[in-house]
Amino acid sequence: MKPEYNVIGKSLPRTGSVDRLRGAPVFAADIQLENPLILKALRSAHDHAEVVAIDVSKALAIEGVVRIFTAADIPGKNLLGIINKDQPLLATDKVRSRSDAVALVAAETESAAHEALAAISVTYNPLPSVTDPFEALKTDAPKIHPKGNLLFSRKIRQGDAEAAFAGCASVIEKTYRTSMIEHNYLEPDAGAGFVDTDGTLVIYASTQNPHYDHKEVVTLLGLGDNQVRIIQAATGGGFGSKLDLNVQGFIGLALFHLKRPVRHVYTREEAYLATAKRHPLTLTVKTGADADGRLKAIKAHIVCDTGAYGSYGIAVASRSAVHVTGPYEIEHVDIESYCVYTNKPFCGAMRGFGAPQVAFAHESQIDLHARDLGMDPLDIRLKNCLRVGSKTGTGQVLTASVGIGECLEAVKPYYREALESGVSAPTHPFRRRGIGLGAMWYGIGNTGVQNPSTAGIEMDPEGHITLFTGCADIGQGSTTVLAQIAAETLGVQPAEIRMVVGDTKYTTNAGATSASRQTYISGNAVKDACQKLGDVLMTEAINRLHSPKDSLVFQDGHVVIKAGPENRPEDRIDFPCLAKRIHAKGVPLFWQGYFDPETIPLDPETGAGSPYATYAFACHLALLEVDTLTGQVTLEKLVAAHDVGQAIHPENVIGQICGGAAMGIGFALMEEFEPQKTVSMKDYHIPTCADVPTVIPIIVESAEPSGPYGAKGVGEPALIPTAPAIINAIARALGERIYHLPANLERVLAASISSGHFGPQEVTHG
Amino acid sequence: MDPKTVHIEFTLNGSPRSLEIPGAASALWVIRNLIGLKGAKEGCGIGECGACTIEVDGKAVNSCLMLAAQLDGADVLTVEGLASEDGLHPLQSSFLEHHGVQCGFCTPGLLMSTHALLKENPHPDHAQVSKAIAGNLCRCTGYRQIFASIEDAVKHNSGEAAQ
Ligand code: FES
Ligand code: FES
Repeated sequence: MKPEYNVIGKSLPRTGSVDRLRGAPVFAADIQLENPLILKALRSAHDHAEVVAIDVSKALAIEGVVRIFTAADIPGKNLLGIINKDQPLLATDKVRSRSDAVALVAAETESAAHEALAAISVTYNPLPSVTDPFEALKTDAPKIHPKGNLLFSRKIRQGDAEAAFAGCASVIEKTYRTSMIEHNYLEPDAGAGFVDTDGTLVIYASTQNPHYDHKEVVTLLGLGDNQVRIIQAATGGGFGSKLDLNVQGFIGLALFHLKRPVRHVYTREEAYLATAKRHPLTLTVKTGADADGRLKAIKAHIVCDTGAYGSYGIAVASRSAVHVTGPYEIEHVDIESYCVYTNKPFCGAMRGFGAPQVAFAHESQIDLHARDLGMDPLDIRLKNCLRVGSKTGTGQVLTASVGIGECLEAVKPYYREALESGVSAPTHPFRRRGIGLGAMWYGIGNTGVQNPSTAGIEMDPEGHITLFTGCADIGQGSTTVLAQIAAETLGVQPAEIRMVVGDTKYTTNAGATSASRQTYISGNAVKDACQKLGDVLMTEAINRLHSPKDSLVFQDGHVVIKAGPENRPEDRIDFPCLAKRIHAKGVPLFWQGYFDPETIPLDPETGAGSPYATYAFACHLALLEVDTLTGQVTLEKLVAAHDVGQAIHPENVIGQICGGAAMGIGFALMEEFEPQKTVSMKDYHIPTCADVPTVIPIIVESAEPSGPYGAKGVGEPALIPTAPAIINAIARALGERIYHLPANLERVLAASISSGHFGPQEVTHG
Repeated sequence: MDPKTVHIEFTLNGSPRSLEIPGAASALWVIRNLIGLKGAKEGCGIGECGACTIEVDGKAVNSCLMLAAQLDGADVLTVEGLASEDGLHPLQSSFLEHHGVQCGFCTPGLLMSTHALLKENPHPDHAQVSKAIAGNLCRCTGYRQIFASIEDAVKHNSGEAAQ
């Protein structure tokens, strides 16, 4: 039976929505400071070059130009990166991509700043460059970093894949390619800052991780922790890219030297040029299934092109390796994944960390096996999907909350109905309809590394509650969800809890808003803090109410003796009354909560371990029509079933599912970032409302025992199955498969031609 | 900025305005930087995203593409002009209730495109709504809850949604 909750499972209005609806100045670019200087960065003119000299004299002479910074002006450590530190804020001896910043201008006006950029003269000594990761791995390739171009590799080995293939009835090996993708959050990166009266550098930033920003800026400037304060401004989407520093370091540097308010707002063009992208992956996957369609073995070789810097590349390579098996039980596993430097814009985190790319492969493979063995694509997935008790490729045994079977069952009625309505029968001479499935699994949190979160809860002596969290809400609604978790734990309404969010002066580290981890990990940290406060309240209430603890509950801001026959005033005591007494005794009313999911690091040789404490699961179904003469794909419907453990806020979950599906449509059909060709939003198309069909979201709740009220996460899972479902539907429509994303007009048309559909076909009527 | 300044007079959210502006300035720049209203956003600056949408003489326009000089004599509405002292405009309330706001960067533009549509057509169907907001990109929502917000506002629209 499902537990009864007061506020868990209720879709409250999202925190901060009213300000945004009114157009209040909440975003970083909206912040008004007294006479701010304008910052602009000069970017590299080469893919790869030594920086011989930077002459700023002409630029400095321009009226309104206050200062031009180069690497020499950085007082601390000029090296950034959340996993591996390899990226200078400002170039030192060389540039490794055109995204690299070489100098930073501070000027009184926008136009003076622009003029200065053009007047800085940089002498480069161009070096040979490499943009293909396979070329970059060759011994004679230009060396981008001192340690070489291979940043990281991950191996996962279990059983004997080669031997197992020999006994398989169906063995399929294919190579898949995905493109570089731009996050294209609607708000270009922005920040502003000033020096406070006590000398603290205060930086407002559009960010997914204010506490990481804090650490980086402090190190960059060689300052003490309390000399820098990062405040997360309203953040207009992030999707992974706002995990890296964008403007924070520049603002910090200017504040440090100039002690004057500054602002730094990227144009869209600069956001395209200078911020992280999704890693393009090339992966060769070989899988084998027995005559019954049971998957037996997988061999995968994955290459992740991380561009000039690591950013989250190591996490992408690691997660890709773990996830390439798909949500299926496969006994024999032989996987290697490489993260390689090239002289391209750096790639970092983007919604899914490699999982969307590898899902394209594993979902194509399983459909190929189904076809090879004459099986139904849904049946073969049901046959192979993970269950409680299943062992994953890393040898982790799943003990609870494995909802992939339920997700597959949830889309089944739609799938059967579409099949029965003759979805793939031609109804038009030049159009073919198709139906496709895509399934996925997604480990919540970072891969086999610690990733704790903390939170603070405080009750003042009057009984008012404040929750402190470093968890950045970037639009997904975590602030609302964390308030709900706190409110449920303490028996109050979310609106009664004052939220202090993402301000390093007051909040403690909640880790990154990434890896779909905040509901699960920060949710647990909040719950832990609230339980500690709750214990103190209960202890005091036991004394006042003369009733044992297990007879007491929190209710509407009171501790109440439950199951009393009538509501007697002597059976309840309110929070202000308790708080006053607790405070008078000197017992703390501030409590810090903590949670770090239980994971076991992956063995460097075999990959054995438990990389995640829990997994989310999903299955999407796509119905579409392909115009065989133009390659145009028209989506008719998407059905999206997601196991989220427990939906704390169902409308937030639906918002993630539908937003993720739209992003998945872009990934499948239209998006490709081409360095130097993709310059402005004219060159890069994301789905408009006309590109997104009806999406039917289905929330599956397979409660996670270690989750806060059973919750897992959904942010990234939402996007992952969409592209595979679409690609499988196109394959079904044309009888020809696409192995390179995006499946744009040219690629679909090529598939149409090679499948012999490029021409009228017989139409079935009735 | 163009040193040539131009004098313009127009109505903004119901109040008369009289300004000296740089001749080459965009309407968005003037509204955000000279007037200081930050509701209209700059998402691209080249007419591709719709985040800067405002209403000029009842029509939704991308203010990043419009010269501020063209505002002379016009009746201009920005998102700040929607809510009244009594609270949110019905369209805003509907976005709140139906979770049409995630990060909210696209929201002002969407509200203005929809507001202009409802002025012209108080009861648009799905296709008409889609056409009106196709120029307003949203990267967060996938548009479903935006349609739900708008369609519910349309259902309850007895005329005030266009006021
Ligand atoms: S800022 Fe005007 S359309 Fe994007
Ligand atoms: S809500 Fe973020 S872009 Fe629309």
